[in-house]
Amino acid sequence: MSHHNIYLMVNGKRYSLEVESDRSLLDVVREDLNLTGIKKGCDKGDCGACTVLLNGKPVNSCMVLAVQADGKEITTIEGVARDGKLDPIQVAFIKHGAVQCGFCTPGMILTAWALLRENREPMREEIQKAISGNLCRCTGYVQIIDAIQSAARVSRVNNE
Amino acid sequence: MIGDFVVKGKYVGAEVDRVDAIGKVTGETKYADDLRLPNMHYGKILFSPYPRARVLHIDTRSAEALHGVRKIITAKDISGNNLYGYEIHHHPLLVGEGQETRFVGDSIALVVAETPEAADQALENIEVDYEVLTPLTSPREAKAEGAYQIHPGSQGNICCRPELIHGDIAAGFKNSEVIVEHTYFTSRQEQAFLETESGVAYVDDSGMLHIFSSLQDPYDVLEDVCYALGIPKSRIHVKGTIVGGAFGGKLITTIEVHLAAMVYLARVPVKIVLDREESFIFHPKRHPDEIHVKVGSTRDGKIQALEAEVLSDAGPYSGRTPEVLGLTVSALVGPYGIPSVHLTGQAIYTNNLDSGAMRGFGAPQAAVARESILDKLAGTLEMDPLELRQKNFLKPGQETLSPVLGDSPVSLELLKDQILEKMGPLPEVSPEQNKRVGRGFCFDMPVFDVSAIPVLGKSGVGIAVEIFSDASACVYAGGTELGQGITTVLAQIAAEELGLPINKVFVEMSDTWTCPRAGRTSASRLTYVLGNALLLATEKIRNTLLSRAAKMLEVSKDELILENGKIKAKGSPSKGVGLQEVATVCSNEGLKLREEGWFKYPEDRYMYGHTFMASAADVVVDLVTGEIKILKLVNIHDSGKVINPILAKGQLYGGSLQALGYALTENLIVEEGKLITPSFSEYLIPTAMDIPEEFVADAVETPYPTGPYGAKGLAEHALNSTTPAILNAISNAVDIDLTTIPVYPEHILEAIRAKETDHQ
Repeated sequence: MSHHNIYLMVNGKRYSLEVESDRSLLDVVREDLNLTGIKKGCDKGDCGACTVLLNGKPVNSCMVLAVQADGKEITTIEGVARDGKLDPIQVAFIKHGAVQCGFCTPGMILTAWALLRENREPMREEIQKAISGNLCRCTGYVQIIDAIQSAARVSRVNNE
Repeated sequence: MIGDFVVKGKYVGAEVDRVDAIGKVTGETKYADDLRLPNMHYGKILFSPYPRARVLHIDTRSAEALHGVRKIITAKDISGNNLYGYEIHHHPLLVGEGQETRFVGDSIALVVAETPEAADQALENIEVDYEVLTPLTSPREAKAEGAYQIHPGSQGNICCRPELIHGDIAAGFKNSEVIVEHTYFTSRQEQAFLETESGVAYVDDSGMLHIFSSLQDPYDVLEDVCYALGIPKSRIHVKGTIVGGAFGGKLITTIEVHLAAMVYLARVPVKIVLDREESFIFHPKRHPDEIHVKVGSTRDGKIQALEAEVLSDAGPYSGRTPEVLGLTVSALVGPYGIPSVHLTGQAIYTNNLDSGAMRGFGAPQAAVARESILDKLAGTLEMDPLELRQKNFLKPGQETLSPVLGDSPVSLELLKDQILEKMGPLPEVSPEQNKRVGRGFCFDMPVFDVSAIPVLGKSGVGIAVEIFSDASACVYAGGTELGQGITTVLAQIAAEELGLPINKVFVEMSDTWTCPRAGRTSASRLTYVLGNALLLATEKIRNTLLSRAAKMLEVSKDELILENGKIKAKGSPSKGVGLQEVATVCSNEGLKLREEGWFKYPEDRYMYGHTFMASAADVVVDLVTGEIKILKLVNIHDSGKVINPILAKGQLYGGSLQALGYALTENLIVEEGKLITPSFSEYLIPTAMDIPEEFVADAVETPYPTGPYGAKGLAEHALNSTTPAILNAISNAVDIDLTTIPVYPEHILEAIRAKETDHQ
């Protein structure tokens, strides 16, 4: 196994790391950076629990090698709240009952965050499509979709 | 009656935010896999590659020699019984040389290594010689005469044989003018919790074993670890971590006995996290059932007789099977008054994947058979399916045949009215589109445990509450937070009763050290049993505080009320004292500020409490492709007073979508005892794209006399009732009989073609 020196910009902080070529971004973020907010649900790219934003786009971090992320910007769930203040999406998830067991929640919020950056006023169908790679077994998705729509409204008001 | 009825308190009945939500939306919540300990090693399990094989020889030498490997454990290293299991201890921790495996989830060896990679490498280097034997993979084959016994002495491989008989079944069919019968096949459903089985454990310097794991029943883990490894219960501390979903799959002990063995024998802290395929193999699933049902009725739709036989695949171990099948059998009656029933079940041991608890606990299978045959009967009688149900609804005061208390006000008529209103008119499609719409209904009587089931003497439910001198409070509750929201519900009740702001109440859960024994987290039981225990405990603390305050204020205790952190005299609001001051005085004087409440249902008989539930679905079926689209799905429950409406809705939506998966996609396929669908790309659970176009969840609240604030249990409900509503809607749309779930488009096309052939 070859070793590589890489650097990652994670939640605005620069990390220099030496990683083996076969290690996933998920494992490196969880094990080496101790950012355990992202979850390992399947390690096969099926469930979305490990979603991070890679240069602003949601990806399954279990399907990305750490070396592929060299030099890139990564946002994990720990980077969503700013200065101790929850993002409107996080607030909406709490208010709308979009959280149950919470295991899909970090990935779901990051996917929603990326969606709202691209689309300030998503229709329900657009939200459904955006989060279709993030499995949730608890909620039936309804309250998650409600939360994302509500967060979009709040963000629009805040930006006006 | 415990507790006062309140229509709406400050917290009870209000849409209170989850108390555990902030950690979950910020990623700060620690699940078992997020825990780290100094010198922590990684544990892996070598599973049997064969469903049935005799282990001839295990050679661990080359694995032990690998760099980074701390310890390899086989059966001969275990000094306890090396067995565990719920009620019957016949599940081997490790299958040893000379012994036979019973399924592909049986463990042969345990590896403890410095890294997960080293542990994987060690697994590959353990050499095991097997004599591969022919497995029994169907219940019919396994119960046939001469079949080998999976457990010695289990004649016919029978795990259990529940029966429910009432009235004169022969007379019932004799009085029937119309008789219909059919056989239904239900699939093996996987719980598909997102967090796989995981845990961390260590032994501290005093010799105490600490286990932190994702579980539903810390007390059962304690029993199993004690029995399998011979460790005294007083030396075991089990802490249930925040659980990333369970749905019954973590109800019996999962990896904890393995973990404890690793920690004890390797003398280092260990973490185990199963991967997804291991998880799919390891824990028990919803039983696949074959249900033959026969129903007789008068021409005007009064059901006279119900007869059914259930054949259930128990898998290799008993576990929860006897309880689950017992519920399947009794749930066949449903919320209907039927004068004669004869219902029997047989669960048969096989070498397939294990079967056990999954949300609904046997009732969803029964509901599929019951509600499907009712629609078939309605078709034969040329009667509206809703009218047929209504004619046979359980009437207030009527005796219930299943083992339910029968003390709930019957609200079926109300549910029916509500669901009709919510459904509105059936949508139309133009016939040239080659699409048909249909509507289906299901009524159900979901049960919940009121602690009237004497489960090995573990039925009583305790809770502890402590108020501190700074007027903050802690609740110690041995139930487990699985995502259902029990932590929030208990915080709401404690805050209401102690007159505290909810952020001054902390609820500690699922810890055998700090929490009084509370039993398992299953059977939709915690709101009722822990809620009642909590009211008993808070009542004692209120008494202490109010008595002491009465002296301070020189008024009678009865004149005092406790609210918003203050104790005040009812008549004269100026006369009051802060709770903090009273608590400080009590604390300084050595008065007891930590109290336990113990709730036990007064009767010791096998009885559940029951609720009522109605579901309805509108679907559109494409006649060309067989594709099914769910236009509308409505679920309405009556679980008594709703403590938190947002959480309650979440239970309905979530359960309903699992039921939609059960109806249309979910089938964990096992062939020759081996799993064919080991991942989420093969075992398909619903995504956000699969939800109904219109999805409605609502409640009718009939207060329950013995419930906390009139509440009953709620969790499993929509899983019981959604699947049949969808099936009946499909049948209604294209006029076919559905026999097997999940229903795929090709099944619909086949059934339509078969019907056309019949007509020609």
